[in-house]
Amino acid sequence: MAFWFYRGLRKGIVTTRYPREVDPWTRDLPTPPAFRSSRLTRALADRLVAACPSEAIRREGEELVVDLGRCTGCGRCLAVGGEAVAASGEFLLATAERSSLVKRVPIGGDREARG
Amino acid sequence: MTVDGQARPEAADALAQELRRRALALFGRSLHIRTVDTGSCAVCESEIRLLSAPHYDLHRLGFFFTPAPRHADLLMVTGPAIRAADNLLLKAFHATPDPKAVIAVGACALGGVYGEDELVHGSVDQVVPVDVYVPGCPPSPLALLQGLLVAVGRLEERVASLSLDLDSDRRAAADGRPR
Amino acid sequence: MRHAIAGLAIGAAAAWLAAALAALAGSRRVGVRGASWLSAAGGAAAVASGVLLALHGAGTTLHLGSTTVGAATFRIAPLAAPFIVLLGAVAVANGLYAPRYHEPGRGASAYLIAYNLALVSSLAVLAAGDAVAFLVAWEAMALTCYLLILRHHGRPDVGAGAFLFIALSEAGFVLIVLAFAILAARTGSLDLATIAHRAGRVPLGWRSAAFLLALVGFGFKAGLVPLHIWLPAAHPVAPADGSAFLSGMVIKLGVYGIALFGVVLLAGGPAWWGLVTMGAGAVTAVLGILYALMERDLKRFLAFSSIENVGIILTALGAGMTFTAYRQPAIGALLLIVALYHSLNHGVYKTLLFQEAGVIEHATGTRDLDRLGGLVRRLPRTAVIFLIGTLAIAALPPFNGFVSEWMVFQGLFQGFRISSHAVGILIVIAGALIALTGGLAINAFARAFGIPFLGMPRSNQAAGAHERGQPVIGPALLAAACAFLGVGAPLVLTALDRVARATTGLDIHARLIVPQLGVIPAHTDFSEFSPTYLAAFLLAVLAVPAVIYLAGRPRARDRRPPVWDGGILAYKPRMQYTATTHANPVRVTFDPLYQPHINVERVSEDPAGRSGPVHYRFSVTPIFDRYLYRPVVRLVRAIALLARPIQSGDVNLYVFYVFVVVLIAYAVYAS
Repeated sequence: MAFWFYRGLRKGIVTTRYPREVDPWTRDLPTPPAFRSSRLTRALADRLVAACPSEAIRREGEELVVDLGRCTGCGRCLAVGGEAVAASGEFLLATAERSSLVKRVPIGGDREARG
Repeated sequence: MTVDGQARPEAADALAQELRRRALALFGRSLHIRTVDTGSCAVCESEIRLLSAPHYDLHRLGFFFTPAPRHADLLMVTGPAIRAADNLLLKAFHATPDPKAVIAVGACALGGVYGEDELVHGSVDQVVPVDVYVPGCPPSPLALLQGLLVAVGRLEERVASLSLDLDSDRRAAADGRPR
Repeated sequence: MRHAIAGLAIGAAAAWLAAALAALAGSRRVGVRGASWLSAAGGAAAVASGVLLALHGAGTTLHLGSTTVGAATFRIAPLAAPFIVLLGAVAVANGLYAPRYHEPGRGASAYLIAYNLALVSSLAVLAAGDAVAFLVAWEAMALTCYLLILRHHGRPDVGAGAFLFIALSEAGFVLIVLAFAILAARTGSLDLATIAHRAGRVPLGWRSAAFLLALVGFGFKAGLVPLHIWLPAAHPVAPADGSAFLSGMVIKLGVYGIALFGVVLLAGGPAWWGLVTMGAGAVTAVLGILYALMERDLKRFLAFSSIENVGIILTALGAGMTFTAYRQPAIGALLLIVALYHSLNHGVYKTLLFQEAGVIEHATGTRDLDRLGGLVRRLPRTAVIFLIGTLAIAALPPFNGFVSEWMVFQGLFQGFRISSHAVGILIVIAGALIALTGGLAINAFARAFGIPFLGMPRSNQAAGAHERGQPVIGPALLAAACAFLGVGAPLVLTALDRVARATTGLDIHARLIVPQLGVIPAHTDFSEFSPTYLAAFLLAVLAVPAVIYLAGRPRARDRRPPVWDGGILAYKPRMQYTATTHANPVRVTFDPLYQPHINVERVSEDPAGRSGPVHYRFSVTPIFDRYLYRPVVRLVRAIALLARPIQSGDVNLYVFYVFVVVLIAYAVYAS
């Protein structure tokens, strides 16, 4: 019998079970950012807007508008944002409505600082 | 989905809805995909190519790649829709018979990385009607599979109910998929 | 009836002589028109004469001259009937074609005189009753054809082509004279009918010598390989209707000569005569079409295709002689009928193709296939007629080429009835070679129609072609004749059967035509098919998709997207196949035969050609010119050089020669 047959039997089935379950290694994928609105200040928000090379982050008044569609997962906002920004861990982002990918995060940090 | 020459038929049109439902029922069992590259860096193509590999194996879900748009049910479009590829994209789109769907794959196709200027449209939906958007740079093959399954109605999309505010009470999708 | 036949033939000759006279006024349009219409009228008379002769089956004799001047006998034998019909058909078609083709002037005047005299000479060859009349008419035909090839004598290659024609014609003529001389000496008469009667008493060795001399001598005219090299040289340079006449009629005179000797004059012979003819024919057919595929010049291509078809005719003729020698006279008669039928068919469609080649040349200014393209939109009527000619010559139903090639195969496949296995195998091999040529012919003619007519124009000349003022009635008549000869094959074969009966004494009508318009190959349990029903069936089959389309049309709402082309921006003519590349698979397969010379020149060392064009030159080695004719010419020159000292120019030496000859004559007379 063929060598690959025995080897395959020993290794088992390696095909992903998606959509029944998501593989555990996907935890390490680069993903768009998630924000702690309580730590966001206007100044930090402006720094985040300048850092994004894809113009995925905009500031509209007291809100940070994040376009998940434009995000490339480069991680610069994570580097700049410190505690305010963390990886969201979300990568299954397909949608039929383009507007569903535009998320708004309130900038609550100034209020917190002011007390 | 473009049905009978009309993209995204109105919800009120019962006949179009019925047609759409029947098309989805068929597509859910067997779907032929044609990829169109409108000027991408080809990393999205690498991820798409991985879908045929044994680890992801899209054939088990009933999806197949085809080189001819005439045989395709769905177009997977990558790249920021450079203007020089207009002819190509439109010809492929019109050559694909109705009913058909279009998936825009990758951050470039969704408007990121390159803005609109004299060389580039910026996003694919400036040129052809897009039915499903798959973000990522590149989208992981699992994200691509999710996009395909959403396009044929076998999976519900999750991102609408997603919140990026970690301090908020509203969290991820109700179906509670493990991360 | 006999008088009607003779009368019509004489009327045809008179009309052609009158046309030659009228052509003296050919500097004016009315002269050209008058000559052409007289020529066409003569042609009609010839067709009528030939048809009546075929149906009536008996000839008539005419004596001319007296004992003082010398007499000539003209007798129209039934064997000449299909050739007379062909001559008439070609004359009619050319007569209708010429007014719109030729520019009035002195050149056209001279051409038309030569052409009409050539018609008269051809008729005289076919009607010759004795050897001298035959030979005189033959030479007259050769000379007038030489003159008509020289119509555009100022242009390059015309002189060379005409010279090659006349040189090989004369070479053949010498052999024909020898053949007739042998027969006349051995049978004691110059009259053809008397020779035929007495030929049985001539020893076999002399008869074989006469047959071989006739085969080679007439083979020069017919275009047997390797005697064919004048055809591709002379056909492109002659005017289109001249080439049509040459290919349609003149080479058939060579076939007529071989048939005359093989079947009539020598009263059949041993089987090896037939085998040699058949073998020569099969090789000619294959080589003809192989060389045709390498040609870019449309008229040279058609010339090689004529060589191929002559090969098929001679294969059928030779196989028929073999069958008759092996006591299967019915199949022999069938193959004779088929050879005559194919001669007629080929004459009709080759004339058509050459005429249309002339139209293309006038409309675009070029004969080069690689410069044409897209002519189907610019010359639509020409395209349809050319397509019919192409379908006919590629032997596709329901046209005449299909029926005659089918019958050739039906005859050849009955080789198993021959008692000698070796001969049966040889006949099967010949059948296989003819099958190969059939396949290659379809390839060749798909190329000949597809490259110039379909696709995009490959040059501005082709793009600017238009059909105004181009002749159309002549070719259209021939196209209709192709259809008639194919669909009405039972009628034509009945007439040819009468010809065969009169020639060989054997009537196979009952085993040839079945009452239900079917045609069977002379043996009731072999096969049967009906070209008439086939044509009706094809029309009916075409009706099915037509009905489906018409019935379904209003209901379906189509979306008409453009053709999927891979998304390219625009088609360019240089993206298409050229004639050379279309034939490339055949070229590569038969490379040892072609021995091509391929020369690639680059402007720079860059292999990708980025800093300049790359020139690719391809040419086929002319092996017959190089390895057969050039050594012979060198030998003749060497001999002539040896003999040169005799012509010293010194009058005293010449007087000395006279003295020596007188001495010798005196010595011979005295003893």
